[in-house]
Amino acid sequence: MRAILLENVTKKFGDFTAVDGLSFHVDEGEIFGLLGPNGAGKTTTIKMITGLLRPTSGRIEVLGMDVTKETMRVKERLGWVSSEVILDDDLTAMQNLWIQAKLYGVKNWKERAENLLRFFGLEGFKDSKVKGFSTGMRKKLEIAMALLHSPEIILMDEPTVGLDVVSRKAVWEVITRVNKELKVTVLLTTHYLEEADSLCNRIVIINRGKKVVEGTPEELKNSYAYDVIELESAVPLKLNGWDVIYSDGNKYRIRVKDAASVLPSLIMEVGPQNLRKISVKRASLDSVFISLTGLSLEEAGGIDERKLQMILRRARR
Amino acid sequence: MSLRSMDQLLALYYREVTKVYLSVFTLVVTIVQPLIWIVFFGSSLSGLPTFFLESYFHTNNYLSFLLPGELSVSSISMGMMASMSLVQDKRLGYLKRVMVSPTRNYVIFLAKVLGGATRGLIQVPILLVAGYLMGAQIAFSAYLFLWVTAVFLVSMGFSSIYFMFNATSADWQRPGLIMNLMTMPLMFSSTALFPKEFFPWWLKLISDVNPLTYLAELGRLALIQGAFDWTSFIALMGFAAFFLAIGAVVAEYKLTPE
Repeated sequence: MRAILLENVTKKFGDFTAVDGLSFHVDEGEIFGLLGPNGAGKTTTIKMITGLLRPTSGRIEVLGMDVTKETMRVKERLGWVSSEVILDDDLTAMQNLWIQAKLYGVKNWKERAENLLRFFGLEGFKDSKVKGFSTGMRKKLEIAMALLHSPEIILMDEPTVGLDVVSRKAVWEVITRVNKELKVTVLLTTHYLEEADSLCNRIVIINRGKKVVEGTPEELKNSYAYDVIELESAVPLKLNGWDVIYSDGNKYRIRVKDAASVLPSLIMEVGPQNLRKISVKRASLDSVFISLTGLSLEEAGGIDERKLQMILRRARR
Repeated sequence: MSLRSMDQLLALYYREVTKVYLSVFTLVVTIVQPLIWIVFFGSSLSGLPTFFLESYFHTNNYLSFLLPGELSVSSISMGMMASMSLVQDKRLGYLKRVMVSPTRNYVIFLAKVLGGATRGLIQVPILLVAGYLMGAQIAFSAYLFLWVTAVFLVSMGFSSIYFMFNATSADWQRPGLIMNLMTMPLMFSSTALFPKEFFPWWLKLISDVNPLTYLAELGRLALIQGAFDWTSFIALMGFAAFFLAIGAVVAEYKLTPE
């Protein structure tokens, strides 16, 4: 059984089509990434899976249940972590967990809540008001809340947006542990390519509500990504037969499939005595996105500064 | 309502109510504001000649007349707090957190209107005691409690109206606007502040269908005379039930998470 299945899902807001005929599935036990620039339709997709929004057309199944028909039963099996940090600042960590437990009808919630706080290293703060928590702590508490009712699937909308590098790495580790140790299927959205690359088993890239490509990070890199060799020589070069994508004086950028296997022949052709500098940029999901859409993520949507600031402001309140 | 929904209601209601008690400022102002009202407005007419008070207000003490009226009027404003809390939850995303959980929308609605009405309830004992100390007549009887129940339920009815206006919107301006829109006409077209004997005929007509009139009159009956009017009480229940029902339906079908 698929954990999540989307079939030809479309969501329109008036004339604007936010999600356009999107299909993909998430297998049980994997970390699946929904990747795309801002405004690509990621959050709308997540909202439709949680039942917050109804699709205009198409079909969404969670654990074999139709979301629009069995909304309440689906909600019981899903955990959700928002892109904004949503906690009640006036209450303590335990009070926030208590409300969550009541909303989901969790029995023996106290024991479970304490275990989760320990799992995330927050046990020392259980009776502290959330007001004083750092953004990283808030995120962890949110994830703990999402896991309180033991969902099979957890949906994370931009789990690391607005976090500094250290907190981001910490959240990555948390996500991996949740997936491996607690056996929870994870669907996350992100516009950080390296995040999808290092966390996800499989990803789907979407742009303007449409699926661009789907596969494992490796597959995508193998089929769409190129290494770039940057070299500077002492003399002008001809480089016939090489895919030169950029040149400036005696500096060249060459696009190749696999830099490691062609470097020796390239060096031989240029002549080691002419070579001043040589460096290799390995293929990444960034280059996948560029080669598929012609644009970098920043150019396609960029980081929404206003939204980011809003999230940060909320988180620091 | 299932046991599960009761639990959810309890948790959400707890959250609403703690907001009031957690903030000393909120608590103090909630209590002080109607006291100021009573002291200033009550005093402004207290020096009227006794014969005038008796013939016009049917009591020799304007405060006795005003106290139930003021408490009735406050039932309108409490709904504003309920809908501002709704706006806040929409803006901070908390409503999304709740709506993602298996909680029915009408439970969210009930928690908000119960929370708003409870907020208003804090004022009742304070005002009664203050009024008593200032010389208002207060007959302590079971009718007093019935009347307070009516104030609570009418507060919930008004809260439902505010809720409907903000069900699909996160506009923070609406609660205040709606309060102003409702308070003035309802207050002056009711007998909360003045008796209707000298109203023009059309104002009397409005006054006769205005729930505040019934609430204030019922309060006067209970507080001044220690008596009760079941017809008014049932009419007020009807008002509350009607808007609670509509509010619950609007919440079920129209409530948006942001």
